Amino acid sequence: MVNIAHFIPVFPFVAFWLNIIFGCRLGVACAYVSVGASAISAVLAVLVFMGLQAGGGSYVLTPWLSVNGHPISLGIIVDSLTVMMLLVVTIVGTLIQIYSIGYMGGDPRFTRYFAYISLFMSSMLGLVLVDNLFLLYIFWEGVGLCSCLLVAFWYEKPAAAAAGIKAFITTRVGDTGLLLGILLLMSVGHSLRFADMSVISAPEPLMVLAALLIFMGAVGKSAQFPLHVWLPDAMEGPTAVSALIHAATMVAAGVYLVARCYPLFTAHPLALQTVAVIGAISAVMAASIACFANDIKKVLAYSTISQLGLMMLGLGAGGYTGGTFHLMTHAFFKALLFLGAGSVIHAVHTQDIRAMGGLFNKMKVTSVTFIIGALALAGVAPLSGFWSKDEILTAVWQHGNLGLFIAAVTTSFLTAFYMTRLILLAFFGESRGAHKAHESPAVMTMPLVILAFFALFLGFAGSPWAHHAFQRFIAPEEGEVALDLGMAVASTVIACAGILTAFLLRGKFLGYKEGTCALIENKYYFDEIYDALFVKPFHRLAAAVARFDQVRVDGVVNGVSRCVQELAQASRSLQTGLVENYLLAQAGGVFVLIVVVTLVGKLCHIF
Amino acid sequence: MIPLGHFVILSAVLFCIGLFGVLTQRNAIRFLISVEIILNAANINLVACNRYLAPANAEGQVVSLFVIGVAAAASVVGLILIISVYRQRKSVFLDDFNLLKW
Amino acid sequence: MTELVFYIIAVSLCAFAFLSVTVGDVFHSAVCLTFTLLSVAGVYFFLGAPFIGVIQILVYVGGIMTLFIFAIKLTAKIGDASIRQFTRQLWPGAALAGAILALLLAVIRANAWSLRLLPPVQGPDLKQLGVELLTRYLLPFEFISLLLLAALVGAIVIGKVKK
Repeated sequence: MVNIAHFIPVFPFVAFWLNIIFGCRLGVACAYVSVGASAISAVLAVLVFMGLQAGGGSYVLTPWLSVNGHPISLGIIVDSLTVMMLLVVTIVGTLIQIYSIGYMGGDPRFTRYFAYISLFMSSMLGLVLVDNLFLLYIFWEGVGLCSCLLVAFWYEKPAAAAAGIKAFITTRVGDTGLLLGILLLMSVGHSLRFADMSVISAPEPLMVLAALLIFMGAVGKSAQFPLHVWLPDAMEGPTAVSALIHAATMVAAGVYLVARCYPLFTAHPLALQTVAVIGAISAVMAASIACFANDIKKVLAYSTISQLGLMMLGLGAGGYTGGTFHLMTHAFFKALLFLGAGSVIHAVHTQDIRAMGGLFNKMKVTSVTFIIGALALAGVAPLSGFWSKDEILTAVWQHGNLGLFIAAVTTSFLTAFYMTRLILLAFFGESRGAHKAHESPAVMTMPLVILAFFALFLGFAGSPWAHHAFQRFIAPEEGEVALDLGMAVASTVIACAGILTAFLLRGKFLGYKEGTCALIENKYYFDEIYDALFVKPFHRLAAAVARFDQVRVDGVVNGVSRCVQELAQASRSLQTGLVENYLLAQAGGVFVLIVVVTLVGKLCHIF
Repeated sequence: MIPLGHFVILSAVLFCIGLFGVLTQRNAIRFLISVEIILNAANINLVACNRYLAPANAEGQVVSLFVIGVAAAASVVGLILIISVYRQRKSVFLDDFNLLKW
Repeated sequence: MTELVFYIIAVSLCAFAFLSVTVGDVFHSAVCLTFTLLSVAGVYFFLGAPFIGVIQILVYVGGIMTLFIFAIKLTAKIGDASIRQFTRQLWPGAALAGAILALLLAVIRANAWSLRLLPPVQGPDLKQLGVELLTRYLLPFEFISLLLLAALVGAIVIGKVKK
């Protein structure tokens, strides 16, 4: 059953080509092609999940390359981590595509949207299935491409086009690191297979460097500090894209990569420590920015950075199960939140939460599911976020570094705070915008309800009542796990404290004067710093090169062309248009030719 | 006995007469006549060399047959072009047709 | 005796050819060409290629010359001897043609094969020619027929008076 896994990415890939080639003919039907392909993939993923009980493993489709005698093959790995990612990607992906039918309805590039989404699904599924870093890099770039295409989907908007470029270039920085890491690992470790990660032996500094370079790729893809700047801008894309790519799946690929190469990191504490520190910085920083953001999607974007940071922190602190568990639960409830935000935007045609308010009575389904998602994110027991976050907090606590633990706690507190603020501003209080909000169609609310169901109950997979089924599934070798009751209480108290603080400050949100907390409001000036450090000098360099090109290089080219023109002008009177002149020249040529041939023949005869 | 050289000389003389015609004729029909002379010169050469140098083979004669066939086709098209141009411009003089210059 | 006939034919051939490119009247020029072509056919008989000679008479004298006469008659008022018949490059053309002739003659004289006499074996006969045409040269042979067909159709299309 397990060895059908490699068929899973094939269906979305076929759907991509169908939609690209026959898109104009299919029209709206192309959505059903994409949704159908994802649904088939989801069914296959479930089959693989059930087959996994009989034992996973990796298998080789075909040998491919050989580098210095060390093979790189087209291999598939099927283990609990892969299957978890497969289920998350296919289920969330299918639901979001169903939602997109409603959300993207009437868009002039409807078919192209679904083609891109299918390509993304295919790349993402390939990414989690392959058994070595080399193939992973290929799909890694595939999802990056789709991300760029979909962020800049409404490229008529200059902001969207710029965001697409920014997303691509910023992640490219990380991807370069990943590529270097892969090359380093290949040259010193002689294997890129994940299965060999734990047995690679090489000089310690080189292995640490390789791990850090690989982590650099994860930092870029998962929008961690200091490469987080692209994710908030990526919110220019369609909201369903934000939900699928920039919340649930692609940005989680970085976390997946770290989890996949976990043996490499655990073998080198310095690398693991770096992961934890970067994760902690990202988590706290993004959460603090989210408290001051007024754009509903930006709040969720910073929340995503923060939660990804939390996953990294969990992984870095040794909490493998916590990190992966949070990856799974987060995918569901953050997709739910984004889709809910999309539904709200669909209804009120604004993204500014200060211009919303009072939507609860008008959009019952959206509001209720959104609040469920927010509570799950805030980590309120017994919703799914609670269990996974609790797992991470426990891991960080056991890790023993107080600074990291404070960072995790602060993040939890801030998360609860900003989500409560968002809900209070958007759904309650007076209606502040001149809009006639209405509930979205069923095709959009139905995925919300299903995702809310997951957000409510998925966490129980990791609870004592289910005998920690998830933990035993993802890391069976770790042995018995037990719920740290004290930590659970503390976690709930922190979440409730955040919610309570938000309630106490509710009156001040609207009257808040900008500039009070300028550092955070301006996102710690990252964009400005990068602009001054990289973008501006690069522009100046480009301008200088362009000037050189226009003046010097073009000067030479134009000079050559002018020479040719002058010559042609001078010689065109040779063209009389009289056939006899041409023939005379031709006959003269024949004469010369005969003379030359004869002379050469003579000369050859002599020598 | 006639040596091969005499046939080749005949062919060369005929060729140069044709070449002279091609270079100097103003009338398009006489231009085509000169072309036919050149082709005939070539044919004489082919057949003569076939007979003298490789009598067991028939290549020279075969090729000369082909030349006659192609020459027929060429002169048909050439003449019909001349007639068609004549209809439009009332002239068959080559120096009247210099529209393609510059 | 046969040699004498050959030289007479050869000289008259050159004379007719020269006349056909020099006489003033285009019609006379065509008549001279007819005699030229007939003389060439005679040369073929001397070369033991009677079939080529017959084809020469059939195609050239019977077919192509008729076309020439037609064309001359259709393009009226140009056969007048009063109209200048030579281009402005008469003397350069003549000089070049003469130079090439001199060059060719020098090359022919300098080579030993030009003294080769008629070999004792018989040349290719009609049967051999036919077999070659329909076996080894079948493809070019068919291409020639295709070319002639194309020329036929093309001539009709080009020559059609457009309404």
